[in-house]
Amino acid sequence: MRSLFISCGNTLRCDDGVAHRVLELLPAAAEREVRSVHQLTPELAAEMAGFDVVVFVDADAASLRPAVEPIGAWAPRSPLTHVTEPAEIVALARALFGFTGEALMCRIPARDFRFDDDLSEVGIESAQMAADELRKSI
Amino acid sequence: MIQPVTRIEGHAKISIHLNDAGEVESAQFHITEFRGFEKLCEGRPFAEMPGLMSRVCGICPVSHILASSKAGDMLLGVEIPPAAEKQRRLVNYAQILQSHALSFFHLSAPDLLLGMDAPPAKRNIFGLLENHADFLRRGIRLRQFGQRVIELVGGKSVHPACSGPGGVHARFTTAQRDEILSWIPEAMGSVTMALDRLKPLLDGFREEIACMGNFPSLFLATVSRQGGLEFYDGVIKIIDGAGNVVTESLDPARYYTYLGEASEDSSFVKFPFYRPLGYPGGYYRVGPLARLNVARFAGTERADRELREFKQRGDGAVCEAFHYHLARLIEMLHSVERIEELMSDPALFEESIHARAALNRREGIGSCEAPRGTLFHHYWVDANGLMTRANLLIATGQNSQAMNLSVGQTARHFFKGVALGARPDEGILNRVEAAIRCYDPCLSCSTHAFGQMPLVVEWLARDGTVLGQMAR
Repeated sequence: MRSLFISCGNTLRCDDGVAHRVLELLPAAAEREVRSVHQLTPELAAEMAGFDVVVFVDADAASLRPAVEPIGAWAPRSPLTHVTEPAEIVALARALFGFTGEALMCRIPARDFRFDDDLSEVGIESAQMAADELRKSI
Repeated sequence: MIQPVTRIEGHAKISIHLNDAGEVESAQFHITEFRGFEKLCEGRPFAEMPGLMSRVCGICPVSHILASSKAGDMLLGVEIPPAAEKQRRLVNYAQILQSHALSFFHLSAPDLLLGMDAPPAKRNIFGLLENHADFLRRGIRLRQFGQRVIELVGGKSVHPACSGPGGVHARFTTAQRDEILSWIPEAMGSVTMALDRLKPLLDGFREEIACMGNFPSLFLATVSRQGGLEFYDGVIKIIDGAGNVVTESLDPARYYTYLGEASEDSSFVKFPFYRPLGYPGGYYRVGPLARLNVARFAGTERADRELREFKQRGDGAVCEAFHYHLARLIEMLHSVERIEELMSDPALFEESIHARAALNRREGIGSCEAPRGTLFHHYWVDANGLMTRANLLIATGQNSQAMNLSVGQTARHFFKGVALGARPDEGILNRVEAAIRCYDPCLSCSTHAFGQMPLVVEWLARDGTVLGQMAR
């Protein structure tokens, strides 16, 4: 099963970059590709074709524990926004680039968003838990 | 002193002021967030500035890195090696390409292809899927190309480490060249396709072209020393709405002698102006429309052909903000041509990529053309090279007054016939937004975010009573 993991976040804002740590903790595997980005951009849709499963990994200030869930349908937002969401990328990948796989969202508990390139204790613990969970389930 | 002065991210508001007769008297586009990049860099070593300033924007970090690097070059007192200059030019073309692709295909194409009155639920890129899937696919791939070039040169597409004071960080390789060249035919085909789609559509937008930011103004942009289209280094030229040259051959490093900066209580954005005409009369426009208006030629075959045709749309200068869209496409065409040219330039591959020097000056200024217009970074440092002060003049800010006037003109025209206190229909409000969208202001692009940028439109009576409000 070919899988693509896309981590998103700012490593200079403490736990905002926790998703990148999760991908570092995942062991390398022949059928697994990883992509670390600062922010989600529409062209990621073009990279998803051919994968059986794509997992977006991101920090979440509201989560209590790492959670992996299917990405639902995208609801259009403001036409002025420059924000791109995972559901939008998945929808574009399905409609334009032939992506037929499963799309998942992995939310990592994050509490500290100060200017710092280290993770908080919550971030470190969450990253390990999320990596363990992803290794087992995907 | 302008206080507070900052770049902005995320939140905007439009106020439309009505007179006693219910007619639009004035309108304002408010940028309501404070960020303060000038302040937070104080005390940092100047060599850190390109990395720090990159964080101003997630869409055009390269522009900030380049302006910052050039300010650093001036602090060092060096001329960078040819390979470094070529590499900086390469990433700047890629930056222009990817940012314009986002603006055109994602943000404005729904209006252009589906119409200003299309249902809001359809007026987005998903609305384009039904009948314009290939158009959208090509747009995404075009931006992917620009981002990929930046990633190849700088290690990552957002906030790349591609340049610093004195030069660039890594040599350009033939493997990078080969990958970039493999994209060129598709990129060229996609920009050509977009131009072929847009131009016939313009006939259907005559009212919008005439009434959404159509007024004479000054236009300011960098040009080459020969007067051609230039994004990286050159001189500043200003023309008026009739196409007359107001001034040319201005040194970007002396911008403060001819550009002033005003502030308004209604917005955190600056209101720069051309000093000889004062404020607010000396407002000017920057960005693709301004660049094509001030440049005498593009310097590449296809873009020159399009530029000649573009100039026929105006009498001296093209004053309709709506034509920012067309100008953006022509600049994308030019960028693809220039990227291809650079791939066969031996200087790009030379070994020397960095000029080494200690601090030689206490004040440095760098400028370049960002996707949205001319960008200036101005730094002051102490004897140890630590920043004591910074001033940033960002493209979106330089279009502030023009955006206000465009919103006002659009509202004045399209609000006619709307009863006092009544809610204007969705298509009218969309036209007010679309007037802003012509300028592609960069409000919500600095950092990773997970949410939406709200836009609130209010219409107010003379006494300030809010007669109505609509939020997205």
